[in-house]
Amino acid sequence: MAVLGVALAVFGAWTAVKLGPSGDAHFTATSTATGAIVVGPEVLNSLNVPVRVTATRGDGGAVWLAAAPSTDARAVLATSAVSTVKGVHFGAGTLDLRASGAGDLPDITTADVWRLLAKGAGSAELVVGQGRGPETAVVTSGDATALKDVTMTLTWADRSWFFEALAAAVIGAIIAAFALGDLRQSRPRQVSAMRPGPRHGR
Amino acid sequence: MSRSVRAIALWVVSIVGGASIAGCAAAPAILGIHEPPKANAASAPLTVDQARSILTREFTAAQQGETTTGAAALAAQRTAYTGEGLRAANARVKLAKVQPSLADSPALAPQQPRLLALSRGFGFPRVIVAQTLSSKSPLPILHLLTSPDAATPYRISASATMLLASSVKPFDVLTKGSPLVTDGAGLAVAPIALLNAYAAGMAFPAKAVTNPPFAADTKAAEVRAGAAQVAQAVASQAGFSRVNKVVANTVYAVRQAGGDALVFGVIERTDSFAVKADQAVSTASNKAFVLLTGKKQVTRSASISTLEFVVFAVPRSSGQATLVAASEQVVAGSGS
Repeated sequence: MAVLGVALAVFGAWTAVKLGPSGDAHFTATSTATGAIVVGPEVLNSLNVPVRVTATRGDGGAVWLAAAPSTDARAVLATSAVSTVKGVHFGAGTLDLRASGAGDLPDITTADVWRLLAKGAGSAELVVGQGRGPETAVVTSGDATALKDVTMTLTWADRSWFFEALAAAVIGAIIAAFALGDLRQSRPRQVSAMRPGPRHGR
Repeated sequence: MSRSVRAIALWVVSIVGGASIAGCAAAPAILGIHEPPKANAASAPLTVDQARSILTREFTAAQQGETTTGAAALAAQRTAYTGEGLRAANARVKLAKVQPSLADSPALAPQQPRLLALSRGFGFPRVIVAQTLSSKSPLPILHLLTSPDAATPYRISASATMLLASSVKPFDVLTKGSPLVTDGAGLAVAPIALLNAYAAGMAFPAKAVTNPPFAADTKAAEVRAGAAQVAQAVASQAGFSRVNKVVANTVYAVRQAGGDALVFGVIERTDSFAVKADQAVSTASNKAFVLLTGKKQVTRSASISTLEFVVFAVPRSSGQATLVAASEQVVAGSGS
């Protein structure tokens, strides 16, 4: 039980420190493949809190970042070469990227399916809220140059996560304290219950 | 603290701790991690802000397309219009010198277009129904914007001026969207059948339409009277006939809140002249024909094509459809 308490305390404290008081969870990956980067609904809509999507180009070129209903995004991307964010690793703070498709991406910027849109020189950022069904975020080049060497960051923020982690740490500490206290008090009783052994003279 | 109290406290804390540990194992549930939600088919695919932004873009381009010239005008027209709407806009600009009235042009009223309806669901085609007011006419203009697939933006595919004293019943709220009626289910008449009957009713020589699914209207009466006048005017030199045909893929019906539907359609009217033997007909007075064909005289035959953009209010169960808006534009001609 003491080990369990300590483990919970350590886990809670580590999580609280990692999230910080604002409850921010950041996940990052850098794509070196040429082509658009896609964040599907299995990541984008996996939590009931808004997610901040940030894309930064290594070469400082223009970035075009947008979000659309997933069926529409899939339709405009068709079979073009894309790198898709498939999952997140909380411990490492990283994203899994998987390349798929082949061929150049057509000009998707003229389509009327994009609910949210952000453009920027070097980087772009938008916040995708929840409650509008499955959505997909797409990052592509905002100029004529090919998109590669792009760092994607997804950030979820919920202050309650920090306090939940803190609560876990406190509960773990209490469990550990009680368990250790009980352990210490039960040890002398076992000793006093033992029959005295024979004395050996010199 | 007595032993019993300490034991109870330890058990309570153990239970809470155990639950916490179990909670860690089920962290996704605690954090609220879940499968992505399903798409809501009973909602509009666009937000209202998106739709308004599209309208502003399209009517601004339409204005540029009809107030500038050359390549810039053509590019702006292609941005604003599609299909028969583009065909009519091109012709309108081409014939502007001889048809100075641009009362039907949406370009005259790009400010504050009124968003009436958005199609429902995530299928294609998708439509936007809008209304503008021309500065040269007190009658509003109804517009249909269409998007055939996810990659193709919305464009104006039909515009028609509302008839005097006509009105449009309300649609479902914009966030919910309005269903497109594809087969006429739940309507007094299927949209395509209505348009076909209406087109047939405007033929010349006149053909009677038995049990017409549409109520008589002044526009059709004017068109029929015009055909009779033309036939009479050219009778000594040429035979005249008029054929009306519904243009494929131009009929869209948008369900209204009360169950009725607003139906848009385009009819192509072809006026044909068969010049009698040994006759030479001067076409100089028809400036549109001369501009379109370059011919001031024909000796064998001639034809003029006109697009008629019509909008009907179709009742949900029984009764006749009513024409609520109509506009026409000469788009082509030929002669020999």
